[in-house]
This record gives sequence, structure tokens and C-alpha cells, in this order.
Amino acid sequence: MTDQVQIKTKRENSLEEDNPAFFWIKSEGQQKLATENLVPGNQVYKEKLIVKKGIEYRLWDPFRSKLAAAIMNELENFPFENKTKVLYLGASTGTTVSHISDIVGPSGIVFAVEHASRVARDFLDRVAAYRKNIMPILQDARRPKEYFSVFGKVDVVYVDIAQPDQTEIAIDNCEMFLKKGGYFFLVIKTRSIDVTKSPKKIIEEETQKLQPKFEVLQSIDLHPYDKDHAIVIAKSRG
Amino acid sequence: MYSVILTELGISVFDDEKLEKSFPFSNPVKEYLLVKNKESKLNELINYLASIQRGVSVSDDALLAILKKNNIDSQIMEDSELERIQASKPQIIVDSGFASNPQDALGKLREFALGLSSSKVTEVSESPDLHIIQAINSLDEIDKIANALSSRLREWYGLHFPELDNVIDSINGYAQIVMAGKRESLTKQVFEDAGFPESKVEMLSLISTKSRGGDISDVNLAIVQSIAKQILDFHDLRKKLEEHVESEMQTIAPNLSAILGTAVGARILGRAGSLKRLASLPASTIQVLGAEKALFRSLKTGSQPPKHGLLFQHAMVHAAPRWQRGKIARAIAAKAVIAARVDVYGDGLNKTLLEKLNVRVDEIGKKYENPTEKDIRRPESFRRDGGNFRDNSRRRDDRGGRRDDRGGRRDDRGGRRDDRGGRRDDRGGRRDDRGGRRDDRGGRRDDRGGRRDDRGGRRDDRGGRRDDRGGRRDDRGGRRDDRPSSNKNKKRKQFGRR
Repeated sequence: MTDQVQIKTKRENSLEEDNPAFFWIKSEGQQKLATENLVPGNQVYKEKLIVKKGIEYRLWDPFRSKLAAAIMNELENFPFENKTKVLYLGASTGTTVSHISDIVGPSGIVFAVEHASRVARDFLDRVAAYRKNIMPILQDARRPKEYFSVFGKVDVVYVDIAQPDQTEIAIDNCEMFLKKGGYFFLVIKTRSIDVTKSPKKIIEEETQKLQPKFEVLQSIDLHPYDKDHAIVIAKSRG
Repeated sequence: MYSVILTELGISVFDDEKLEKSFPFSNPVKEYLLVKNKESKLNELINYLASIQRGVSVSDDALLAILKKNNIDSQIMEDSELERIQASKPQIIVDSGFASNPQDALGKLREFALGLSSSKVTEVSESPDLHIIQAINSLDEIDKIANALSSRLREWYGLHFPELDNVIDSINGYAQIVMAGKRESLTKQVFEDAGFPESKVEMLSLISTKSRGGDISDVNLAIVQSIAKQILDFHDLRKKLEEHVESEMQTIAPNLSAILGTAVGARILGRAGSLKRLASLPASTIQVLGAEKALFRSLKTGSQPPKHGLLFQHAMVHAAPRWQRGKIARAIAAKAVIAARVDVYGDGLNKTLLEKLNVRVDEIGKKYENPTEKDIRRPESFRRDGGNFRDNSRRRDDRGGRRDDRGGRRDDRGGRRDDRGGRRDDRGGRRDDRGGRRDDRGGRRDDRGGRRDDRGGRRDDRGGRRDDRGGRRDDRGGRRDDRPSSNKNKKRKQFGRR
């Protein structure tokens, strides 16, 4: 099986070419997204592992991970790289966190915040226990002051929480932890904010809220991977 | 001024940038939590701070509270200072001697984070309300499975002994009889053991000898019997679960159980996720828990919001006349949320809640004894079709919809004949929907006198036209419509009884 696998390190179109954060791997006749596995042999969500030239890669499913979906939908800025420090709100069972952990490598660090203990159980068992660059934090994202073990400022804040006031919560967190000029990824779940409004309008409104403190770089509709979801990429001013 | 800094691995006292003394935790997770909960004694630290006789600034609110309790002159640090500590935490840990180098500090911090998270997960998993939720969900699931298996059992054993199905209502009794074996081996003793009264035993033994059922092979019987066995086992398990939920609910949520009853209370608890979460919900949310689909539909389309979700199972709501249910559900939800809050943050059973609820429900019963005008109209239109067969109910829906489309017509219903006039005007538009038939009808209407002929004609092609008829009937006004269908009902009932 591994013989037919071809690896291309070249990113599609707009992404910088010398950024070896993720890979396009040919599997089952299709170009698929993958990251280099930080913990060889370890699967997180039963994703496929592919070994090529002694390096193990994990396929990255855009239907499971919204960050992967964003890449598939022409994401322009990809600030995750080796040694990046990330604050991740809404780690859930850790699908996306595990891939970011792959990318930032042993000298990067991911502070993964999750409030619900049911999913945190899976997250701890499957992801955080194996990956040394993940700092699990079981806290409510509404109270960033209570995060212990987060230190210094981070390069990227990634927010994927299903709350009606998610944008405000995210901005509070950025104020505390995001360094100047740092990147901010906000997953907007329009159905969690208000079921009665049209998704387009909600995305517009939420993006407006970011304007004073962030420069909005791109807003991506995650269709067809997720319905009524969008991801907004912004950069903090200053 | 000295600064006292709480880190995950211990407490350090600094003078400016210089370490004065450090107090490492031997079991970081446990001791850190003790400090955070203000339960820690911290004797060594306090003795030391008391001995140096200087004011200190502290990095943590909980730590500050502990020190203040022990009469140490202390204050919280400035924000800028806190930020600096936050930024250089690994370095502080190394400086305090809690770790040998920044890499080691990171490793220890991560270990701490894992340990603390795990302890939180463990703590949550132990809470009794999660176990109640699992129990009530299993109970509902078992009901579902047992029901499905029961109808299967009745079907299968019914091949052998069809008459039994009509005579025995309780599935438990039915299963017990199946366990006894073939029809021939059913003695009076068997029926008595299954707990049936004398009269029924007589009848059963009579019909068992005259059954029209076919023979059943031993292999088949064995399988049927093991299904019966499963049903009996489920019955026992259900009983156990019911008792368990009952007693657990009484201990962890006595007030909620008093207002809602244990079963409904447990189901509401399951919907909310945990008792604490339930206590933080607004009453309006509790009122419609379990009716999410209807609620979101109403938010989206502006249709009528649901009056009750799971609360419909509450005896007070269920037994009340339809037009009072919404009001009663609201009253119950309002008291239920207070009850949940008392259960979480208060103490013991508070009886006034239930008393007040009863007063309010009585009041609703008196004040709204008769349906309001809006409520009278609808049941009447339902009653007209009431007791008919399914086709009619479908027709009713259709009609309802059409009426809405037409706007105000419902209001001037009183004079149905007037309506007809009005409807005729509308026709132009409607003709398209219904195709050519309308035109035909127009014709028919003209030679009304001979309506009988028409009907005769219609009867012939009944099959395919039924839907259309629904439509036609509306136009003609309700009274006349009902006639053919009620005739049909009579016929159907006769067939049924034979």
C-alpha cells in the first residue's frame, strides 16, 4: 500500500511554499491532507496512518476538523508552524488539537481548554496523555483568569466553542493571551448563536465585532464539510 | 515588600527578583486544589511570613484569603506584576527550585495539568445525578425494547394460540403463559399461577381447547419461550431501575421530586445534563424541555410555541383540560426550577413549594374552568370530524392549512353559507391547483338537484379520488361532507366487529 503513496510537500496555490506544516498525500486516488505524526503509531480518531520514507503521516479529515475544512476551502494564512504557541478554546475530543500538536512539534505548545467533562475524558485519554506539547485545561472559557498553567502570550488563538456569545468570550481571551500581531481563528457556529437569523447575517455581525481590535483577513464558509459554519481569520492590530 | 507567588508546584516568596524562600508541594494537584478552595492550612508559610514581620503582596485571591485569615499583612498584586508573573512562569518555577530547567518546568507543568484535569473528570463522574440520568435513560430504553419484543411475542405465539392475545392484556401474564409451553399443556394451575382471577381462568381453559391456532414445533417454541423469558427479565429489571431512580431522586433532589415526581424529575434532569445545570436554567426553558423540535420550529416560522415538553407526562398537566395545560405547565416549571435550586444550594425538603403550586393549579382550574373563545372554536372543528377514521384526520389537516391561507375566513365561520359565497369568489386562484375537476364541479353544482347521480358517479372511482374529495368537500361546507364518511364508518365498524 505504501508504495503507491506519493507525497507532495507543496501547498496548493496561495499558501507559502516553504511552510512544511501539512502535506498533500495521495491516497485511494485522491490528494488528501495529512500531518506528520508526532507520536508514531498513535491514532486519535481512527484516521488513516500512512508511512512513507520512514515518516508516518496522519490523514486529516476535513469532515471532522474545521481547520482542515478551511484549508480545503482556500485558506490563505496558515500561522501554525514549528514552535508555535497556541491557545485552543473548545478542544472537545481533540481531533483538531492533535493535528495542531503534530504541526507545532515538540518545542511548540498547545493550551487546550475544554469545559465539558464528558468529552474531556476522551480528550485526556486519547490525545493529551500521549502528546507532550499539549497542556490540557478543564476550565470554562468564560473565565480566562482561572486558567492555570498558561504562561506568556501565544502566537495563535483558535476558538471553537458553541455559545451564543462566543465572539465576546473569544475576544476576552485574546486580550489576555494573544500577542500583538498574533493570529485569531474564530469558528462561527451560526446555529448556536441564533437559529432564527440567516447564517450570512450572523457571520457579518460577528465579524463586525472583531473590527475594533482585529484586522479581518479572511472569512471562509465551511460548506460542504460543515453546514452553516464559517471560520474567520483575523490578526490582532498593533 | 515581599511577593508571595502561587505556582502549580509550590509557593515561593520573592524579594524583588530574589528568591527568599520556597515551599514546594509534595502532591501538587491535591495541595494546589486545597489552596484554591481556601482549605489549606499552610502552617510553614504562615510561620515564616509571621516571623519576617513585613507586608507582602500576593499573586492569588484564594491565597490572599488564607493569609488574611491568619492575620498576615497582605494585599493583592498589581495587574502589571501579575502579568509579568504569568509571562515568566516557567522561569519562576526554575528560580524557586521546583524544577531544574525550563524544559523540566514545562514537563512538570504538563504533568500537573494532566493530573488536575483527570481529578476533575473523576470528580464529575462520581456525581450521583449522572448515575440517575443513566438509570432513567436505561429505563426508557428497556420499555422500548420490551414493547417491541412483546408485540413480536404476541404475533409469534399467536400463530399457535391466537385467541390468547385478545383475552390477556398484561404482557407479563402473557409471557408467563408462553413459558408454560404448548396450548395442550396449559392447565388451570398455569393460569392461576399467572395471577388471573377465577372467571378468567375458566374462560382461558375453555378457549385453549377450542383454539383455531396451528401446531408449533419444539424448536420454534423454545425460541418463543426464550423471548418470553427475556420479557419477564426486562420486567424485573425495570422494576429495580424504577425503585432505584425513585430512592436516588429522593436523596439527591427531594424538592424536585416533590414538584415533578421522581420519574418526570429524572427525565427533566437527563435533558438538562446535571442537577446544577438544571438549577441554572430559566423556568421557561424547563417548561419546553423535550419539545425542542416544536420550539425551534416556532422560532423559525412563527407558529405556535409548544406549551409543554416532558412536562406533559406530569400528572397535573396530563389530567388537566387542554386549555389549562399551558398555564399549569408554566406554573410547574416555575416551581420546579426553584426546587432544583433549593436542592443544589439549599437544604432539605421545602414543603411550601408544593403547597403554593397546588394553590396555583387550583386557581387555574377555577379561573379557566371553561375554555376561552379561541379554544372553543378549535375543538368544535375537531369534534365535527371526531370519531372518524384516519383519512378524515388527514383531511382535517389539509383543511386547516387551506383555511389559514385564506386569511380571516375562519373568523366569520359562524355563517358557513356566507363563506361559501366567499369561497366561490376565490375560486379563480384555486382552480389551477386542482386541475380540471373544479370546472366539472362547477357544472355539477348547477344541476344540483341531481346530486345523487353525482355521488353515484363518485363512488365508482373512489379509490383514486379520495384526496380530491377532501378538497371538494370543504367547498361544500362541513355538514354535508360528513354524511358519506360517517356512513362509511358504520360499515367499517360492522366489518370490524364481525
